[in-house]
Amino acid sequence: MLQFDILGFLASWGTFLGIYAILSISLNLEVGFTGMANFGKVAFYAIGAYLGAIISTYTILAIHNISSPPYTTEGIIALGRYGGENPALTVGLFVLSLIIGFIVAGVVGYLLTYPTLRVGPAFLGITLLSFGELLRIFLQNYEPVGKTNGIAGIPHPFVWVANTALRDWLYVIVVLGILAIVYLYAQRVVNSPFGRVLKAIRDDETAALCMGKHVPRTKATVLFIGSGFAGVAGVLMAFYLSSVNPNMFVTTVTFNIWAMVILGGLANNKGAILGAGIVTFVDRILTFVTPNLGITAITPDYMRWMVVGLLIVLVLMFLPKGLIPEKPIDTPVWKAVRKLLKEEVNGE
Amino acid sequence: MINPNQILTMVHIGLIYMVLAVPLTLSYKTTKIINFVHINFITYGAYMAVFLYSVIGLKNVFVAAVAAFLLGGMMAVIDNVFVFEPLRRRGANVVILMIASLGLWIFYKYFLYSVVDAASRVIKVNLVSQLIRFENFPSLYVGGYVVKGSLLMTILFSFLLMGLLYIILQKTAIGKAIRAISDNPGLAEISGIPRSKVLNFMWFLAGGIASIGGMLWITYAIATPEVGDTLILQIFAIAVIGGLNSLLWTSVGAFIIAAAETIGMALLNQYFGVPTSFKPFITFSTLLTVIIAFPPLGAGGGLPYRFIKKRRGEK
Repeated sequence: MLQFDILGFLASWGTFLGIYAILSISLNLEVGFTGMANFGKVAFYAIGAYLGAIISTYTILAIHNISSPPYTTEGIIALGRYGGENPALTVGLFVLSLIIGFIVAGVVGYLLTYPTLRVGPAFLGITLLSFGELLRIFLQNYEPVGKTNGIAGIPHPFVWVANTALRDWLYVIVVLGILAIVYLYAQRVVNSPFGRVLKAIRDDETAALCMGKHVPRTKATVLFIGSGFAGVAGVLMAFYLSSVNPNMFVTTVTFNIWAMVILGGLANNKGAILGAGIVTFVDRILTFVTPNLGITAITPDYMRWMVVGLLIVLVLMFLPKGLIPEKPIDTPVWKAVRKLLKEEVNGE
Repeated sequence: MINPNQILTMVHIGLIYMVLAVPLTLSYKTTKIINFVHINFITYGAYMAVFLYSVIGLKNVFVAAVAAFLLGGMMAVIDNVFVFEPLRRRGANVVILMIASLGLWIFYKYFLYSVVDAASRVIKVNLVSQLIRFENFPSLYVGGYVVKGSLLMTILFSFLLMGLLYIILQKTAIGKAIRAISDNPGLAEISGIPRSKVLNFMWFLAGGIASIGGMLWITYAIATPEVGDTLILQIFAIAVIGGLNSLLWTSVGAFIIAAAETIGMALLNQYFGVPTSFKPFITFSTLLTVIIAFPPLGAGGGLPYRFIKKRRGEK
């Protein structure tokens, strides 16, 4: 018999959808609108997640004068005991982590553009991919972040709410609220004159340069925004799972986000959310259903990644514009012209 | 101080890096695709050897090398015929081709994982981490130092493969056609070079050589389905030193990275107490240094900064 907790599933899907949609919107800003192949998305996501973990756990331990670090058993037990004591502190730490996560991830992205923007898209992709791998190896070997064990016992921001279902739903609302802010911001960016500069850079960089647009600075700005949002998504994931470890941030996570963006359609924010929705839905369904199926012949995790890989290739070959194709930018002039054209057609 | 064993290790991994990175540069130079499937060529070549060695029990390195070459070559040709050529014919740009190769990478990687998983379960031998020692080359003892059999094997194969590549590219008609396509694809096609056939041959060669590189690597290190992924950083750093353009500089880069990782790491460890687990940082900083010091002029990235600065300064 299949046992299926529909509300639990929806809460879990809502959280994952929100977090991955933030990631895919930010990747879409970089690759869809500006044409920068960012293969190191996971690095900025990891920076956000680890910052959230470090800030929240170390602060609580420091307040209670506990010397054992958060990756030891004593530290985790202490965090479990003191984590829920003060609602203002847990929420405050959550908000602080979001802000610091955005700024630090963004600044790292901005700094990485210095060596990479002067070279071609191929080199940018390679460097960012290598940076992601490097960061994971660093996290695996650095003592204060718990090496391969990672950090556990991150206090849930709503841990003081007694009802666990309500707690999860509150978190879903927060995540979807942040997604809404990110979406509105991205829509505003791409429909502004700055958004038109981005598309110009994507379509012909030399032409944009000759029109007097500062190509490297624009690209660096976009990478700052995109990386910052990825950092925010990382913070949200760390507080949701309440633990982080280096194996969460392997290169394949980046490709998951790429699959979402390509499936939904490049240069389209709605498409990015749709792609994230589809991929996370399938992912969550598999997670909830697999334990009941009892399949052992092929590990479902490998199947899942094979499907993601095939999906990228097949969509690129047979549906190059994605599910929702790119639309022209909504400017006031274009709206007026469209209205005039419609009137003319109707008039005839 | 540097001890002779470190120099031997440097030569060993330098030669393997050369065999691994030169085909990547060759394929990028000819087709302008950053081919992430290259990582799968390495892993599949390694696992061809593992299957022959552990499942079938064939312990002859030459058979394993030929099998790995054929497997890697076939994979490369299949990718080209079914994915890269159709995309290119549609007019896809560099980024799209790069993403397509990325999708193939992840597919091949987890396909191998499931095959290895299933095979391990059937024959009840853990294939996920295997150590392979072929019996064709015994170790030599020279003046108190051990020269490993795998080093001798690496020397033989790398010289053989690089010699073969040199002769094909420089002396034969098809090699000249490959170089013509990499210089100017349009002009090459107008001159009557059958482009898709030549490219298929080039892919076969690149995939095959990288696969043999993978086989050589697992005679030095342990074979896991992640073996290609662990080498990403090094191979790309080497290819960047070669500017993704010059085969000679790629070979030099292989030895630069190998030296930095063995001798450089040992010196840093000895004099500054840097832990050896921080080896990837040396590789990454080499990559960044190369990119900062020698930006390829206008390689799809617009004008380099220094020209913009100069132009502003004149105003």
